[in-house]
Amino acid sequence: MFINRGVAVTAMDSMVEAAIWFWIPLILVPIGIWLAVSGKAKNLGKILSVTGFILVLISSWTVPSSDSTAAGHLLLSIMAPSLLLAYGIHGMIFGGNVPVGKLDNTARWSGALAVIISIVIFCLMHWYSFTPLWRNGEVNPYWIVFWPTFLLFSTSLCSVASFALITFGDDRFSESIKLASLSVVMTGVALAAIVFDGYLTTAEEFRDYLWLAAADIIGTVVGIMMAIGAFAIVIWTYEKSLPPPKNSLPPSDEEIKHVVELAASHIGGEEE
Amino acid sequence: MSKPNASWKILGLAAILPILVLVAIDVSLGDDIHPESFKRFGNAVLTSYVLMGIVLMGNLFFYADSRHRPLAPFVGMMSAVGVGILISWSLVSFDDLLLEANSGMRAQMLSNIVHLLVSGTAMLLASILALGMTFATITGRKRRVLFEEEE
Repeated sequence: MFINRGVAVTAMDSMVEAAIWFWIPLILVPIGIWLAVSGKAKNLGKILSVTGFILVLISSWTVPSSDSTAAGHLLLSIMAPSLLLAYGIHGMIFGGNVPVGKLDNTARWSGALAVIISIVIFCLMHWYSFTPLWRNGEVNPYWIVFWPTFLLFSTSLCSVASFALITFGDDRFSESIKLASLSVVMTGVALAAIVFDGYLTTAEEFRDYLWLAAADIIGTVVGIMMAIGAFAIVIWTYEKSLPPPKNSLPPSDEEIKHVVELAASHIGGEEE
Repeated sequence: MSKPNASWKILGLAAILPILVLVAIDVSLGDDIHPESFKRFGNAVLTSYVLMGIVLMGNLFFYADSRHRPLAPFVGMMSAVGVGILISWSLVSFDDLLLEANSGMRAQMLSNIVHLLVSGTAMLLASILALGMTFATITGRKRRVLFEEEE
């Protein structure tokens, strides 16, 4: 029987390709983290999550036909400044006065420099030619989602942190001013993006997405709070349905004697 | 002594005020509310609710280890997530209520997950920046001497 190889080898459907190269690896990341954190299979969990994450990052090459892979491409594009930001924050925290794991004093300055450079790189991704490009030289559609969300949320969180230090902290005014300044700087960057066109995106587009970013942030926070609320109700309802625990019997004389002996054997030393 | 409730209200205001200021400036430049804002809000609420519910369902396994593996909380959480999925499905498939620039319900739901991945990454990165800088400013202060004996 003659078998035409060209017919036998069927091309994979684009949806199946997207499932294999993007969605399944994406699902593997939280499963791997769960396995690693739960301690049920630490090494397997780490391997799964790292492999899944790498496959998501390179998905724009493995399955270029899928629109979803633009997210993987964006994550890869922002990887370098994000790692620089994390390195900088680590250096700034542990280069200061910490009781354990203290780094060299210069780590604080190099960390601050790394944080500034990372934010400058993000700005250059908007106002210079570093903008992540996806298919056919077009701007990655998720860049205009990421950038306003990052600016709005960091402005908001820095403001919260600043007020929290004053409200709950003791003599933390100078630290609060520094955080308020950072919030103002991030607001300034957002204002600049509102007014001035980016390298490949317009100020009008940014203003449009600013609304969507605000809706996204508020919606996500509300959704997460609702899920936590549902979780609390489920646990509370179950715990309420349990019978009250029975009181245990008081210790016998023999048990008390044993405890006293144990305590006595651990108390001692010479008086000064 | 400050009232705890008042403090939380101030923190809430501090969180929302910068966003409101930026959006107000946006409006003052002549832009109207983006027509898709409500759809984005609705999709973000439902997607984050369902995905966070699934994450918390995974968390129930830790809880079960300390409670002789009861089935009731798991079923309860499954129902809560199921209701979320059902509401998402009905609202996305209902006319044009939550359908954005996508071809159909399945495309919209997958797009929501990818969208949350990107906006979640942006929020995570912003949290690292804000919380990291908070700790950096705290550890940046010179060590205070609380008692003379410390000298």
